[in-house]
Amino acid sequence: MKGKFFFLIALWKANLLSAMEYRTAFLSQVIGMVLNDAVYFLFWVIFFNKFKEVRGWGLSDMFLMFGIVAAGFGIAAYLFGNVMNLAELISQGQMDYYLAFPQPVLLHVLASRSIASGFGDFSYGVISFFLAGQFTPAALGRFALGILLSATVFLSFLVLVQSLAFWIGNAQMLSSQAINAIISFSSYPNTLFDGTSKLLLFTLIPAAFVGAVPAEFVRSASWESFLLLIAAATTLLLAASVTFHRGLRRYESGSALQIQI
Amino acid sequence: MAVIKVSNLKKVFSSKRKSAGLQGSLRSLIRPEYQLVDAVNDISFEMESGELLGFIGPNGAGKSTTIKILTGILFPSSGDAEVLGYVPWKQRQKLAFHIGTVFGQRPQLWYHLPAIDTFYLFGKIYELEDREVRKRIGFLAEAFEIQEFLETPVRKLSLGQRMRCEVAASFLHSPKLLLLDEPSIGLDVVAKQRIRDTVRQMNELEGVGVLLTSHDAGDIEALCSNVIIINHGKIAYRDKVSNLKRHYLTSKLVEVRYAEQVPAGFHIAGTDTLKVGHYGVKLKFDTLQTPVESVIAELAKSGSLVDVTISDPSLEEVIRVIYGEAAA
Amino acid sequence: MKKYWAIFKIQLLNRMAYAGDLIIQSLTIILFMWIFMQLWKTTYHSTSQDTLNGLTLHDTMWYLMMAETIMLSKPRLSRTIAATVKDGSIAYLLNKPYHFILYQLSIGVGDLAARTLFNLLSGSIIVWILVGPPPDPRGWPLVIVAFMLGWLIDFCLNTLIGLAAFASEEIAAFEWIYSKFLLLLGGVLIPLDFLPPFLRSVSMALPFAYTVYGPARLFVDPTLERFAGLVSMQLIWLLTLGLFTLFVFNKASSRLAINGG
Repeated sequence: MKGKFFFLIALWKANLLSAMEYRTAFLSQVIGMVLNDAVYFLFWVIFFNKFKEVRGWGLSDMFLMFGIVAAGFGIAAYLFGNVMNLAELISQGQMDYYLAFPQPVLLHVLASRSIASGFGDFSYGVISFFLAGQFTPAALGRFALGILLSATVFLSFLVLVQSLAFWIGNAQMLSSQAINAIISFSSYPNTLFDGTSKLLLFTLIPAAFVGAVPAEFVRSASWESFLLLIAAATTLLLAASVTFHRGLRRYESGSALQIQI
Repeated sequence: MAVIKVSNLKKVFSSKRKSAGLQGSLRSLIRPEYQLVDAVNDISFEMESGELLGFIGPNGAGKSTTIKILTGILFPSSGDAEVLGYVPWKQRQKLAFHIGTVFGQRPQLWYHLPAIDTFYLFGKIYELEDREVRKRIGFLAEAFEIQEFLETPVRKLSLGQRMRCEVAASFLHSPKLLLLDEPSIGLDVVAKQRIRDTVRQMNELEGVGVLLTSHDAGDIEALCSNVIIINHGKIAYRDKVSNLKRHYLTSKLVEVRYAEQVPAGFHIAGTDTLKVGHYGVKLKFDTLQTPVESVIAELAKSGSLVDVTISDPSLEEVIRVIYGEAAA
Repeated sequence: MKKYWAIFKIQLLNRMAYAGDLIIQSLTIILFMWIFMQLWKTTYHSTSQDTLNGLTLHDTMWYLMMAETIMLSKPRLSRTIAATVKDGSIAYLLNKPYHFILYQLSIGVGDLAARTLFNLLSGSIIVWILVGPPPDPRGWPLVIVAFMLGWLIDFCLNTLIGLAAFASEEIAAFEWIYSKFLLLLGGVLIPLDFLPPFLRSVSMALPFAYTVYGPARLFVDPTLERFAGLVSMQLIWLLTLGLFTLFVFNKASSRLAINGG
């Protein structure tokens, strides 16, 4: 276990050093993403300026939820960047490279790349949280926990979808649609959705656990939302791991797509 | 003590066969047709500790597939294999701690970082102590003569320098077995020689066994003591390199063109005439039986030479000859 | 003239060959429309008003469908042009027996046609299901004209950004700024009718509103009055920008001829 932990830290360090070779590019990507998120948020500022409150959601609620989604996504992209193109790597046969090493393949693949702009999303998320006005240390603690769990849900969902590449051909396109879907759905107040759509957001595309539920947890410190969130995160994490490793076995048996004799 | 034991290894790939066009796609959806490919077809061999074994064969012969099975990346369809006492596809992670790999097509060094940073990362991948790693880097840097540019970003190094660092990295965790897959692809003669010498050196110093796959016979010739020739998934030949050289790598192919017409029945003593055209001749001879000098002299005497090409037999030809012998 | 028609046709057919990809990509608009429906349905309901700034829920949804279609179907011309500038291949392209700009235009229209078709189809189906039939079909010919004019303005702006590669290393910043302006001040995220008066007047003074908002708004309310007003503004912008683009292009290509690329 200890070895795996230090290995992960070493990978993150290597990515950081790599990025530091191009300091200005790194900085501009981070700042660029902060500005990008800010502009998207302007929509909500304009919207709530006109409509004041919709089904119990106001601007400060949006700040909070947006903060969680952005920060969670940012952490996932920055520390586990290859989650965004896992399907591509699989279909190109790149698993061979990682299989030759003694470290857990999934961890190794995911952490081998770092998306610099993710740090921008994370920074924006933190700023957004403070703009929501929750200044107590307890709230900050819940925010940190919320981000971690949100990121876990996001990562697990993606790993699950991207792992389909072990079985089908066009998993890359599907994956980009899935990324789109979960980010879009999680950036809207979940009181907007009812009935079947709400069910969808708690199951098939678990966007509720990326934004709304963690936000509720931070806002109200309710045990209910916390336990729900933990349950969702653990279930998805398990499902993702099992799916990936099943797929990896298939890959190793040679029945996945590209073969070079 | 054998570090690799392979018996009756078989790997069959089935790929879906799909004919072109919309009809073909639909048909393959409803009733898929599979094409079976025998990538590895009943291979058995052993490799001793500290041996320098070469694995050659043309593209598609089954080399890469065999290597993948031995590293645990691929499961065989049937048969057994044991590497350093481990069953590769069952104990892949444990085995990975003791073997090193260099895939010529896929670099391991991080492009934007100095090689030394990748070395330290490898230290963590193989769970080595920091002190150990430092000492090891010092030793390898000297052995491979890479101290000068160890701290230069890899992207600024020449291909030869990069390859030396790549191969050095594969020795970091003191593996007992090193698997090199086409390591000198794209390198110039000097760079190739450098790498071969250093690998040989490591073999002598640390007794690291080396399994080298290549379709460049020169690699094998320079580095390996034993060679296995594999073709169509089967072993065609297994012997010492010295024997291979003695029997097969000594023949030469000569093509000449004359200004005058070549008489029918043209022949030079000690050679096999392969083809006689209007103005040209193609022949083959064994340098051990007929010296090059006499053949060239005879050819020059026979007419006014316009063009001459002398080449070594291709690997395909060597294999064909070996196959021919096996059949006979 | 005939050759540009041929280029357009080939590009269109090329894209249509990958119909599967186009279908998967059009999932994005279905997703967006569904989310927007939830948002605006709840919003309208919470204000207890049927009409907001002259738009009903039905109008807003069809507006957003049109706006998103325009936004999602645009080809990334600035990227292509900048690439040819950066790797120097533009020097060779200028020597071809066709005009570089017109060539890019033909290719662009080919791409545009393919994606618009699929996005329009998918978007229309879902919005029809959600709010009912589309606005007055008699207005459609007018909308097509406005759509094309709007796209031509966008084409000029994109070309200018692409040509900026002659002067600047990275044009990504300009691309980004342009797309953000479109999102907020072009009426993609929110109908300009909903903006506070000051922002509204600012946006109408800029060309962005005439590429997205104009045609989409016309689609929802296709009166001859509106059409006339829109097209006259579009033509003014198109003339100005078009001439400017040609000017910049000629300057750039003559500079190229002198310096030898």
